[in-house]
Amino acid sequence: MATDTRGPVSGEDVASPVGSVDGTRALYGVAGVAGFVALWWAASLVQPAYVLPSPLAVGETFAAEAASGTMGIALGNSVLHWLPGTVVGTTAGVAAGVALAWWSTLDDAASGVVRLLRPVPPLALIGFAIAWLGINHAGAAAIVAVGAFWINFYAAYGGVESVSEDLIDVARSLDVHGSLALLRSVVVPAALPEITTGVRTGIGRCWMLVVAAEIFGVNGIGREILRASNNLRVDVVISYILVLSLAYLIIDAVFRATQRRALKWR
Amino acid sequence: MSGEDATSRMGSSTGDDARVAVQGVSKRYDGAQGPVRALSNINFSVANGEFVCVVGPSGCGKTTLFRVIAGLEESTEGRVLLDGKMINGPTSDLGLVFQEYYLFPWLTAAENVGFGPDHAETAADERDARVQELLNLVGLGGSADSYPRDLSGGMKQRVSLARALAMDPGLLLMDEPFGAVDAQTKRMLQDELLDIWQETGKTILLVTHDVAEAVRLADRVVVMAADPGRIRTVVDVDLPRPRTRTDETFGAVYERVLGLIN
Repeated sequence: MATDTRGPVSGEDVASPVGSVDGTRALYGVAGVAGFVALWWAASLVQPAYVLPSPLAVGETFAAEAASGTMGIALGNSVLHWLPGTVVGTTAGVAAGVALAWWSTLDDAASGVVRLLRPVPPLALIGFAIAWLGINHAGAAAIVAVGAFWINFYAAYGGVESVSEDLIDVARSLDVHGSLALLRSVVVPAALPEITTGVRTGIGRCWMLVVAAEIFGVNGIGREILRASNNLRVDVVISYILVLSLAYLIIDAVFRATQRRALKWR
Repeated sequence: MSGEDATSRMGSSTGDDARVAVQGVSKRYDGAQGPVRALSNINFSVANGEFVCVVGPSGCGKTTLFRVIAGLEESTEGRVLLDGKMINGPTSDLGLVFQEYYLFPWLTAAENVGFGPDHAETAADERDARVQELLNLVGLGGSADSYPRDLSGGMKQRVSLARALAMDPGLLLMDEPFGAVDAQTKRMLQDELLDIWQETGKTILLVTHDVAEAVRLADRVVVMAADPGRIRTVVDVDLPRPRTRTDETFGAVYERVLGLIN
């Protein structure tokens, strides 16, 4: 039988030019960071150190904080808030979003509660966190979990809602019947791009929430930033902001690589 | 004559070799300006191994008829029988092929074809053999591991055809299957479909707005008219295959069907 003259586009053909584009982009990225540091340096020359310390001074403070072990402990504590909070909130948010978008009766029943709770900012729940869980890791993690929940809830809900009705029809015509079977074999795989985008957004937002959640008195990076601000130690503040950025960059890169592998069909 | 009589008469006239019998199918929607009659008393049947095309102007209810036969929509009145059993939902006895393919984008060509057998819990080696056989049948043996985004429109439609055949359906039901590909590919796919039809002996019902396509492919052409959607007539195409548009006899049938539509 005759076949199309157009062959399938090979993955390798696409990968190599993209790889070189990535190389150019990385080069520009490094140049941009270097420019930013230079600007910072120039600005620090005309400002007193308690307003804007020089990059070198911040580097020294960073090294000292790291050497003293304070930084490691703060990072470890923050991870104790971020990781369980993100995992629990993401899991619950994705599950609730998928379930409500797929089963309309459940959606109808829950929509009132969802609308009532949605506008509540996670930080407004600090009172509950303290009262129910105490000023501790669990309390901070709970606040992070609330933030992760809503981001993932809406991403998953939207993803499932936009799954093509036609794909579901095709699956039914291939004898996939029952809502749970359709959910597993069509709806979740089709919604996975949106779901994972939500997870990725949530991971980043949760880092920001960690800092805010620690301000009510739990040890961690947020606590160190608050303490340094009170002592007018801008160099320490910047050092801990850098820790936060680096931690986020690493986690995001790992997640992106995983996402790309899971969605290689895109 | 009562409706009951008409139905029983219809049943006997379709005979034992009818694979599909559409009996008194009507479909009404509630539109903004009152009820819309999308289909009005549709009656026809397709014999075992027959290739039937449904043509009609846009808005004549072709796609609604397709969806009712496919079990994706309920008719307001009447019924559709497949091998004497009433259709009341999508089933693997009906292989569906759509204009827009609707391949599962997260599955490779082979996984798309194997989707049905997989859910029917077919043994893995049996399923893989069947998938390979079908991919070879549609000329895509070498693209088994490609994802849909890497396939051309024509190749996607071949995968979708193989996927529909994987469950060995009693009827292949196609809605404008070649409406989204260029003219050259369309011609090629039509030839391939005829080959596959002759090779597998499948019964095919194909819905199209393309009169030349219908005359080229079908044993019989069901011509529809709009407002309300109904059957105007059924034209027998008694021409030897392969058929070419330049043939005088082809032209006569083509003009006749075209005249019935306009």
